[in-house]
Amino acid sequence: MKSASDFPTINAKIPDGLKEDGSKYRVLLVDDSIFVKKQLQQMLLSQDYEVVDTAADGEEAVAKYKQHYPNIDLVTMDITMPKMDGLTALEQIIEFDRSAKVVMISALGKEELVKKALLLGARNFIIKPLDRVKVLERLASVVKR
Amino acid sequence: MRVEYINPFVESAMSVLKSTVSENVKRGTPKLSTSINNIQGVAIIVGLAGQVSGRVVLDMSEETALNVASSMNGERLDSLDELVSATLTELGNMITGNAITKLHELGFKFDLTPPALFVGDNLRLTDNKIEALVVPLELEEGNLCINVAIKENIYK
Repeated sequence: MKSASDFPTINAKIPDGLKEDGSKYRVLLVDDSIFVKKQLQQMLLSQDYEVVDTAADGEEAVAKYKQHYPNIDLVTMDITMPKMDGLTALEQIIEFDRSAKVVMISALGKEELVKKALLLGARNFIIKPLDRVKVLERLASVVKR
Repeated sequence: MRVEYINPFVESAMSVLKSTVSENVKRGTPKLSTSINNIQGVAIIVGLAGQVSGRVVLDMSEETALNVASSMNGERLDSLDELVSATLTELGNMITGNAITKLHELGFKFDLTPPALFVGDNLRLTDNKIEALVVPLELEEGNLCINVAIKENIYK
């Protein structure tokens, strides 16, 4: 009897987190909730992304982006956070690196907030609660563009 | 109290609980509450301010809180530690965040305070001159109540 390994490559899906050369997309994960961090981390790791670092507020996010630059492919950014909010952090990251790929993740989906984030340079906007399939789809569409 | 303000919170609670905790969520009979409410062991409180003022409280027993947090994390959690607290406040955040997104679409503008978590026995909540609507929600994980009190601000 044939097993799955007899048909190795045709339909084998390459995990979203891998680049064409086989290396991993590197993600900076920004959220002040350890629950959301854990949830996102599990989703990302399941698709072979590498979480290079995490930050719990906007200030830390900007500092860590600069610290790891240019070895970051994607930032997931919460909005409501202490010290500095996610929109301000987004603005500062884009100011530092115009090609930064930042995806906002928030429980608030008010139209003016989404518009503002996209105007400031966010590549996408994901509204919580996080649906694993949708999150991975959105993130993949951003990193692979 | 206008029902337009209340429904989005209850609907949002139902849909967030369904997608993050368990498929089977039943809505019990709502009741209008007097000024003093007894709170079960764990309460998540989010304040509302802007065109209206008020607050939303989600309360449950400690056992239910642990069951809910366990389901949301996909692993058994047995004490009200940092992860459980973060999970429960995130639950409050998602429910109220989604509700005010809907309310904004309907033209009601107000904002939220970050969720606060209260834990203790014999907690009582007193609202001064705001009527509260309490809706019990039944899950496999246990029962919880969403308690919404809102009043319109007359000044513009």
